[in-house]
Amino acid sequence: MRVRHDAGYPRNAWYALASSAEVTREPLGTRALERAVVLFRTTEGAVVALGDRDAHRPYPLSLGRVEGDTIVSGYSGFAYDRTGACVRVPSQEQVPYGARVPSYLVREEGDLVWVWFGEPSLAERRPPVPTSWLTDHAWETFGGQWETAANVRLLHDNFADITHVAVVDPVISPPTLVGVAPALEVELTETTVVFHRDWPAAPMPAWQASVSGSSATTPYPQREEGAFLAPGLWADRWDVLLPPEEGGPQVFRFTHAVTPVDDRHTRHIWRVSRNFAPGAHASEALRPIFEAYYVKVREILETMQQVIDRDGYGEDVNVAADLAVLQVRKILRRLLADEG
Amino acid sequence: MVTQPIVREFEADLTIVAASEVATDVLALTLAAPDGSALPPWTPGAHIDLVLGDDLVRQYSLCSSPGDSTQWRVGVLRAPDSRGGSKVVHAELRERGTVRVRGPRNHFPMVRSPRYLFVAGGIGITPMLPMIADAEAAGAEWRLVYGGRSRASMAFLDELAVYGDKVSVVPQDEAGMPDLDALLGSPEPDTLVYTCGPTGLLDAIEARCAASWPVGALHLERFSAKASDTSGGTAFELVLQRSGLTLEVPADRSIYDVCKAAGVSVVGSCLEGVCGTCETEVVDGDIDHRDSILNEEEKASNEFMMICVSRCRSGSLTLDL
Repeated sequence: MRVRHDAGYPRNAWYALASSAEVTREPLGTRALERAVVLFRTTEGAVVALGDRDAHRPYPLSLGRVEGDTIVSGYSGFAYDRTGACVRVPSQEQVPYGARVPSYLVREEGDLVWVWFGEPSLAERRPPVPTSWLTDHAWETFGGQWETAANVRLLHDNFADITHVAVVDPVISPPTLVGVAPALEVELTETTVVFHRDWPAAPMPAWQASVSGSSATTPYPQREEGAFLAPGLWADRWDVLLPPEEGGPQVFRFTHAVTPVDDRHTRHIWRVSRNFAPGAHASEALRPIFEAYYVKVREILETMQQVIDRDGYGEDVNVAADLAVLQVRKILRRLLADEG
Repeated sequence: MVTQPIVREFEADLTIVAASEVATDVLALTLAAPDGSALPPWTPGAHIDLVLGDDLVRQYSLCSSPGDSTQWRVGVLRAPDSRGGSKVVHAELRERGTVRVRGPRNHFPMVRSPRYLFVAGGIGITPMLPMIADAEAAGAEWRLVYGGRSRASMAFLDELAVYGDKVSVVPQDEAGMPDLDALLGSPEPDTLVYTCGPTGLLDAIEARCAASWPVGALHLERFSAKASDTSGGTAFELVLQRSGLTLEVPADRSIYDVCKAAGVSVVGSCLEGVCGTCETEVVDGDIDHRDSILNEEEKASNEFMMICVSRCRSGSLTLDL
């Protein structure tokens, strides 16, 4: 009698559409939650998000230009202000009554641009989750983004369980991941799931030892944490617990912003932050290792989507390690049901 | 090596930043993290546990604003017939003191609707406060009927004053009981009914909604377990799919107890079918629902059950545990 799969995603949530640096005085066209969106900055630097379709003819505003605090269609010349209201048309004095494009609430947090597509009055009551490490200088951050041709649920399932890492990518995998996983501890609130495992002492991976200058052979205890903080945000971490005389814990934070584009595509913005080995040199050594892993994950999730498209949802067998996955699904189901 | 997962709820010692008697026998507690850090997010209808002693855990609805992540507020009625929880809260919790909390969780979630009818009885007003704030901000049509013994005993009347005639205050000593037949006699289109209060009020509302309102229109939250027949439990086989265990549930023990005894990590709080913490996914089996949380539709779907009180009618039950 179980629900075999869960369709849809909550709309009353903040979703990341771009990095802050990408949004400039040049309009940026993108898609999220099955609609076209154009992003640009006003003269004061505030980000504006509007429906990316001229009200006059089906032409994207993102192919037009920003003038002052308005965006002007590259075909009709209609100009729209930051609220989406049409304020000027070239062909007549009178602005057509009620001409407008949709506008969306925007917040910048952690050098990302978050947009709210749901019930506007709820946005104030559910502020975006702070991600201070993404802008804090104690953390060195690099990252990337792309569209994964898979439903957002497949991305949630993936982040909720890392035991597949040793199978998918033996290079990036910390040696301690090989073997039976220690007990998963899951902590719940109404809308969040945080889980961790304390892994037995083992050497850090060779690539981490080489950028940090630490021992590649000494065993250190390690701690994994995953956190589903909102329908559009995961914040995970991996701590290698070096003693204070060796510099203290080396911590990676992995931030994943996931934004449904439609029911088969998801924007994935990923960030890898660390509290050790500062500098661009180490970042350039680490980037290809993480990027290769995330590309593999993307390819696997896209294959899963193809299997679902072809053969439908199956009766997946769950194991103990899926406890967090199931809790995340429960929360998403609830939030979706609330939207009526 | 132990691989059995452990699941628990967020738990923390919070500072009582304010404690004030906001009506006769009603104490409002404002809670914050000792270091001022953000508390977990929540939505209207959510409640937390106050952990008042080893075996003294009580649920209270959050009645602050979900947009304020620095503070939570609960309202606690000193109940003369209480099992002890509210007495401890009134006698022992003081401003600048500490209280252990667990949660939040929500089994009274607010579903989007163009129209709402809120009916609160006494301290049942607490979950309604964030709900009506949301309804008002969203531009929904709504009204609140708030009954209580007397004005002096009815908390948060000052906060409700801003809503004008959308709020009907019905103190029993002045106006008698709310006229439920007038309120609920005929169903209103596209309207959800949210109610929280004493058992008598909730039973009366439930009976009227069952008679004529659409299935799913009524949402209610009970303070204590609904009177139900808890006798006649039979023994059955319990299969835990993820753990790969098969257990026997005797007639006189709950599924929750049997799981705990077998070392399977399950979360529970009230253990009487009120709080919803132990909700578990059903794979197969004919469920005998005995909780006060799931509505008829949810019960009929056979997808979830509260393992603290509900049982199985068929000989074997398989759970996703």
